[in-house]
Amino acid sequence: MSSIVAEGFNAFETRQAPTGVVKYLETPNDVLALIQSGTLKDYILLVRGGTTTFLAPVLSIGATGILTMSGAPESHLGIVSREFQTPCVMTINLTDSDSRYQAGNTDDAHFEAIVQQLDGKLVRLDCEDDSIGRVYLAEHSV
Amino acid sequence: MSIRSKTATYLLRYEPDDDGLRFQDLTYEGNFVGLEPVPDGILGDKMMRRRAKTGVLERVTRENVLRERYTLDEINDLNNYLAWNIWDVLVMRATEGVSGMIPRQEYEILAFMHEFYRWPEILRMTTDEAGPQGVIDIGATARREIGTKVNCVHDWCIGAVGFGMGRCGLLALEAIEPDDYVEESNEILKFMQRVLWGKRQDGYILNSQDRYRCRVHDQEILDQLLGELEDFEPDEPKHDAFTRFNAAATLLAFLDHFDCRLGLGDTGPYLLPDGRVLIVRDLFTNEEEFHWSDVCDHEDVPHCYTVVVVIDAEAMGLAEIRVNDISTTFTRPKNYVPYITGGAVFVREKWNTPMGEVRPVALHDLGAELEKLQQATLKLYGKLARMPRRELITNGHWVYFIDMILPHLRLAGTYEKACRDYDLWEIDQRVSNYYYEITKRKFAQEVVPTKIFSGKGYLPFSEKADLRSSKYRWL
Repeated sequence: MSSIVAEGFNAFETRQAPTGVVKYLETPNDVLALIQSGTLKDYILLVRGGTTTFLAPVLSIGATGILTMSGAPESHLGIVSREFQTPCVMTINLTDSDSRYQAGNTDDAHFEAIVQQLDGKLVRLDCEDDSIGRVYLAEHSV
Repeated sequence: MSIRSKTATYLLRYEPDDDGLRFQDLTYEGNFVGLEPVPDGILGDKMMRRRAKTGVLERVTRENVLRERYTLDEINDLNNYLAWNIWDVLVMRATEGVSGMIPRQEYEILAFMHEFYRWPEILRMTTDEAGPQGVIDIGATARREIGTKVNCVHDWCIGAVGFGMGRCGLLALEAIEPDDYVEESNEILKFMQRVLWGKRQDGYILNSQDRYRCRVHDQEILDQLLGELEDFEPDEPKHDAFTRFNAAATLLAFLDHFDCRLGLGDTGPYLLPDGRVLIVRDLFTNEEEFHWSDVCDHEDVPHCYTVVVVIDAEAMGLAEIRVNDISTTFTRPKNYVPYITGGAVFVREKWNTPMGEVRPVALHDLGAELEKLQQATLKLYGKLARMPRRELITNGHWVYFIDMILPHLRLAGTYEKACRDYDLWEIDQRVSNYYYEITKRKFAQEVVPTKIFSGKGYLPFSEKADLRSSKYRWL
């Protein structure tokens, strides 16, 4: 039985329900290393911003799913993930926390808590809803 | 379940009494403290226009547009409307936070302020060279061309960014007073109005005034584009090839323009005789003025791909479609990609390639084009990843400061003169010094975005303001 662990803005409606291990990408070098590893498709990518440039090469090659800690469907990453049809849940918050992202007014602890709880976990994305995307914990973690 | 087939209702949005859908829950107040909050979309446009003191937000005549100066009330009406329009198109986008790659908030605010200071004399010189009618004619070229940066987002940026956000940022920095630079504000806003009016030629200047329609292309151009249209079913390989190409070109267009919207230009929606909806999308994948575009040159990536997108509105159950004033299409439901049932792709090699030499690319040949886009994207990413923060901010600032007026100066024949005689590619000393100020007290990350997206920072000109005034006192 899977349980919901986070939710956020759904970039676009899709029946795709990708499953993968959450991988937090912090720097461009993390992005390049992931590409070179050849394991891109195994992961649901977790990033802090909702911009396209940071994830550009993985979007181009084809990501399995994306989680962001800021941004909205109107942000550049929301637009491009829709065009690539890459499921994307934006500005996620942990369902067991009251902490919410506010543009320009969110301290690092908010982001660190999300990374700590999700990085390395096996999750499934539910992106069927018009507005809310949901992140479910899958059967096991790595 | 959200993917469904049902009857489209989007045509109801064009009925005069219809107020459109709400795309977001937030509301806007701006300078109208105490009045009913204003929502996004068609209803928001109606409310903002009802609050105007003048007719500048209604359909205006050529004679009106050719006038040298606005009245003070007209400038304040434009200021208030643009402030709402900026909120309408950007308030949700602006939640995207840090890039991890490009310090966008920092380069944006520097560029806004630089534009407000330095564009006025360059736009005045261009108006002097081309004449007011010539500026209108520059806008009108967009009706006959694809792959042109004389488009919604560039034209809108002249006023909304150069005047609106630039003045807003300088007011927030307390570098200027509300009644400073009235003459310069008029210069910027008149240039914007002339270009936009010439492009639309229906009396309006903004897509939001026309229920988010930007149907500017002449029928002759549309017929040429549709002559190359290839129809397909959503489960055919052609659909996948077309949509993957569109996505990859969109991505590189964003990247080449440092993660800003200047790389993308939609027009439409055009209603086809068979009931489907057409969007014409220019994707500027190689801007030759940017030195980092050398990687695009190496991969033989053209200046622009124009992607013709045809959507089955009925199958989608399309409820509203907006081509907003930064040239971007949003729909309800959000996901139109599975309902694309026709497409065509055109290449404009250089910005000034004659329209007669713009060539189509058959969908079965898109694989080679996709490979070029992917290689250029990877190389450009590696190049940007090696740039120091200061260089990223400087270059991002150039994208805004130069590219927003570049297409108009090119067509006016004044770009070289602006570079040579007006030092266009130099950074004003005031703005150079602001570089050190904008990271203090969360100025770029919090203060300015709050002013810009709450609408609180677009202070009106007072009744004492003089239309002839610049800034005379630095006290």
